[in-house]
Amino acid sequence: MKTVIVRPERCVGCLQCRFNCAVAHSQTRSSYTAPYEPTPSKPRIHIGLSLNKELFPNKCRHCNPTPCEMACITKAIFKDPKTEIVLINPDRCINCGMCAMACPFGVIRYHIYPANRWAAHKCDQCILRLGEGDIPACVQVCKVGALVFDEVNRFMDQEASRMATLIYWGIREKPVAEDVYFTLKAYKSSLEEIRTRR
Amino acid sequence: MNVVIVGASAAGLACLGTLLKFQPEIPITIISEENVPPYSRPLLTYYLGKEMTQAQMTIAEANQYPQNVKFLQGRSVKRIDGSRKEVILSDGETISYDKLLLATGADPIKPGYCDESRNVFTLRYMEDAKKIEKHLNESAVVVGGGFVGIKTAWGLIQRGVKVSLVIASPYPLWLVLDEGTGRFFENALKEIGIRLYTKNEVSKVEKVKKLKVFLHSGTSLEGDVVIVGKGVAPRIELARDSGIETGLGIKVNEYLETTQKDVYAAGDCCETYDSVYRAARVNAIWPNAMDQGYCASLNMLGLRVPYPGSIGMNSIKTQTFHLITAGILWGENIITYEKYVPFRNQFRKIAFRDEVPVGMAFFNAPSEAGMIANLIKKGEPLKINPHKMVAGELSPRDMFEQGIRFFSQSLNERRPL
Repeated sequence: MKTVIVRPERCVGCLQCRFNCAVAHSQTRSSYTAPYEPTPSKPRIHIGLSLNKELFPNKCRHCNPTPCEMACITKAIFKDPKTEIVLINPDRCINCGMCAMACPFGVIRYHIYPANRWAAHKCDQCILRLGEGDIPACVQVCKVGALVFDEVNRFMDQEASRMATLIYWGIREKPVAEDVYFTLKAYKSSLEEIRTRR
Repeated sequence: MNVVIVGASAAGLACLGTLLKFQPEIPITIISEENVPPYSRPLLTYYLGKEMTQAQMTIAEANQYPQNVKFLQGRSVKRIDGSRKEVILSDGETISYDKLLLATGADPIKPGYCDESRNVFTLRYMEDAKKIEKHLNESAVVVGGGFVGIKTAWGLIQRGVKVSLVIASPYPLWLVLDEGTGRFFENALKEIGIRLYTKNEVSKVEKVKKLKVFLHSGTSLEGDVVIVGKGVAPRIELARDSGIETGLGIKVNEYLETTQKDVYAAGDCCETYDSVYRAARVNAIWPNAMDQGYCASLNMLGLRVPYPGSIGMNSIKTQTFHLITAGILWGENIITYEKYVPFRNQFRKIAFRDEVPVGMAFFNAPSEAGMIANLIKKGEPLKINPHKMVAGELSPRDMFEQGIRFFSQSLNERRPL
């Protein structure tokens, strides 16, 4: 089963995933008309800064066991038996706020839905797009490979072999650049320094 | 393996669901005292607020389960015969078991003035809600400043009923919140139209045309009904009479086993490890009961998964505010950090004891609340600057860097009990 895998060290914070997510969950599903809908669609992926000012794309992990499903008193949150995606039924949700209390990753927000009803709001791993044979909207638009749609075991094998190769080459010769993202980190640290000086 | 589950609410149904997921073939008997199909008890206050109908509250139907699940409704268990591994029902029938789960739940505490003929009710079962609905007209008195009392008051307000809330302690949610937060919350409650009578107790209730409720302070209130929400007491009679060790609730070890072999307990009826108080405690809330039912079913299947511990937590959401609390905010050696954002009407408060987070109150800030609540549940010392934690600058990445994993229910990790 394929899931969205997050590689936070690659994220540059362009927020394109947020935009595409909102468009993919809007009623018209077009980037031209989505901002003008009566109930604007909200993104379901959140890019937050950590204490070291590093970016972290935070989205629902569709955990198993599912704390939010257990905390839901109306059974509005349920697990799709076929795809194991955790979904919210906005018609059953009574907006009680229990799921936000239970979620260990803080991905559940509360927004208004097109049926003029407030309900819990979180990633559904683009189940509509998956049905059409497409990949999730955030993964499709990610340019730096911070979000990958793949099977976990296969991806881990691939990463392990890549790491092994790097180590093998590292023994024989020195890498060209030790830190691949050194410019970005230098920029971030300078921003941080300016902020603290002020 | 033959499994018998006593009680068909959160813990019982969670256990049943998990057993069916891993072992779909085993014969399971689930015994419920009530005649209606299982429903969600926390929704009763929303039922009073006309947000939910009875059909919407139903969480499981007897006919949705496969053939091997036997649903006994309207039957109660009289005794457990531990030596012969049998459950004796009140009508004399015996059911043998290999593994037994006690999920008998809890009953509301009824003070002396509780009398249904005088329209003084508690709110725990569907029948109670229907009785209240029948007598309810335009005003009501709610007794108890806990979560049940406040949620009931909010439900009644949504119905268009005038509500007076009588609280024995100096401010609402006294067991959880500290003074400052309590006062803030009190104002928020007044804003949504609840009349508060703090440091007061009901002395007697008289029924003339309407109800007349006399308080200790001398004032008297009028209302159609009185709803008492003074907490719950675990139902331990069945376990006690069958020779299982009980305290305030049924005593269990970290694998949720009772003192009798092959008998497990989960839900509101049992005392489990509390990460904040560091002792066995009854935390009678829905998510904990589901969690315990899940954990008990894994142990029944022979996986030996220790229960990670529970905390008292709850969430209240009305039209104007959303409060999430967990753990405790006052007590010995507790230092609190808070941040108030006036233009968003938002504040966060986190309490620490020896660098271990033990309590939180998040007002209108639901997004990070779950992270902190789970850190409190973990009960591990943190190296994160608490001032940044309350400012809402925490991201899951920091926790991964700290080496905190939420789903590390490894078999070696054991909790003392």
